[in-house]
Amino acid sequence: MAVTLLAFLLPLLWTALASLGVLPDNSSRPPSWRGSVSLDHFAEVGIAEPAFWQELVTSVLTAACAAAIAVGAGFLAAFGLARAPFRSSRVVTQGFLVLASLPAMAYVIPLSDLMRRVHLLDTFAAVVLSEAAATAPLAVFVLHGAVAQLAPEWEEAAVLDGAGLFRVIGRVVLPLVAPSVVATAVVLFVLDWNMLLVPLVLTSGEIKTIPLGLSDFFTFERELDWPTAAAALIVSLAPVAVLAGIFHRVLNRFALDLRTGE
Amino acid sequence: MRLTRRDRLFLFAPLAFLLAGWLVLPALLGLLATFSTYSPFATSVQFSGLANYAAVVRDPLFVAAARNVAVFTLVAVPLELVIGFSVAYMLRRPFQGRAALRVLLLLPWLVSPIASGVMWHFLFGGATGIVDFVLGWLGRPDMPSPLGDLRLALLAVIAVEVWRMAPFVTFLLLPSLASIPTERWEEATLSGASWTGRVRHVAIPAVRPLLLTITMLLTGLSLGTFDAVLILTGGGPGTATVTPALYSYNRAFGVNDWPVGATSGWLIAAAVLGAGLIYVRLSRTKVAD
Repeated sequence: MAVTLLAFLLPLLWTALASLGVLPDNSSRPPSWRGSVSLDHFAEVGIAEPAFWQELVTSVLTAACAAAIAVGAGFLAAFGLARAPFRSSRVVTQGFLVLASLPAMAYVIPLSDLMRRVHLLDTFAAVVLSEAAATAPLAVFVLHGAVAQLAPEWEEAAVLDGAGLFRVIGRVVLPLVAPSVVATAVVLFVLDWNMLLVPLVLTSGEIKTIPLGLSDFFTFERELDWPTAAAALIVSLAPVAVLAGIFHRVLNRFALDLRTGE
Repeated sequence: MRLTRRDRLFLFAPLAFLLAGWLVLPALLGLLATFSTYSPFATSVQFSGLANYAAVVRDPLFVAAARNVAVFTLVAVPLELVIGFSVAYMLRRPFQGRAALRVLLLLPWLVSPIASGVMWHFLFGGATGIVDFVLGWLGRPDMPSPLGDLRLALLAVIAVEVWRMAPFVTFLLLPSLASIPTERWEEATLSGASWTGRVRHVAIPAVRPLLLTITMLLTGLSLGTFDAVLILTGGGPGTATVTPALYSYNRAFGVNDWPVGATSGWLIAAAVLGAGLIYVRLSRTKVAD
């Protein structure tokens, strides 16, 4: 148990130490540690890649907007599917999972051409909507499971009281599945945060997210100093790690089970 | 509740608009384009039949890429499933600090493939790496980075991906494994089942549909491997770690060979859709029995 945990976390611990300036000395026998703890390397990130902090803001905005749109559209469709009278809704839902598994590379080449033709290339809207479209199928799949688990009686009671679709969703369904919705939003935020290919082919530097920035300064400056790179990595990991920490209780509700709704 | 036509329009229109415009339409336009000489830079477009497909399949680089991604998928996906399942199995009983541990274990998945590429580039090699540090402690000579070794590069890339994805599998499996009623474990123990018996007859049946779903996601992810190799190896050394996605990207955006890039991209889609058909079929048979 401890060994497994160590295997997964040691590389990150190594990186965290390097970002603080503590490096191993592999030439001595046995290997030892050198360097003293300092925060200098975090300041150097902004020098090595001047736009880094700007990229951090762009990443937060694109990932938040894309996750919100995907979860919003996905939730409505998931509710519609779960309450639809047609029998093949199960296969349709599985189809969404297959779509969620489709790598972006399968369609980003024509997507970039399409965006260029409608003059959306290098715009915030194109990146956000493309990321939302890439992740929405997963949201549909997970939220369909959550909605299908609800007993329809709750909604029927509200309908008897004269509630329309908006009231039923807003007052009855959404409060009941809120933990699943939040969990899905967090997972989608992480996926969007880490997405490379979509912003890569849709922008030429105007809308730059963290993975793009990291890949740039690493491709062009191979000699990048490890502590600075490590500091950039830790900064890029921190927001999603904090998010996962805050929401760790509801993250349980991100369930991919198909048993529900049967 | 019974949905009216207007209700359904309201519920499905946003998703339909989003998927149609930014996923389905580009994918289908791309499919059409693979049968022609279309390119954004071309002045005229001609129907070319299967010529693009023939060009892709005959390209030794694509063949190498297809071989690599097949190895990658066949090795990485089972490893991710087995390791992810084992860790979740060990964590199935509540104990002090399990919630915190679960979040800590999710950390590798939170690292983007690009960031993990940068990180492992340094950890695998050189004076500051983790590999040489451990070897030094064991009194062994330093080892050159496996990323530069023709035979080891693909395995190293797979190891990094397993490191990143196995924790996500644990994260997805744990709630289901933890919710198996205690009596089921006790019954199995009383009836003399060994731990392998408990895994086979209690744990696996409880998470089988979930495992199938996770396998589908991991397979799609593996077949599209792009950013995991982009930084780590860039496809090298030689063609040792090139993947179809990297090939498509380089064709379309690197050397402006748009038709070949789009066509090889569609071959990835075809492979994933094929896996999807198997997935839908398998989930149906599971429900039947």
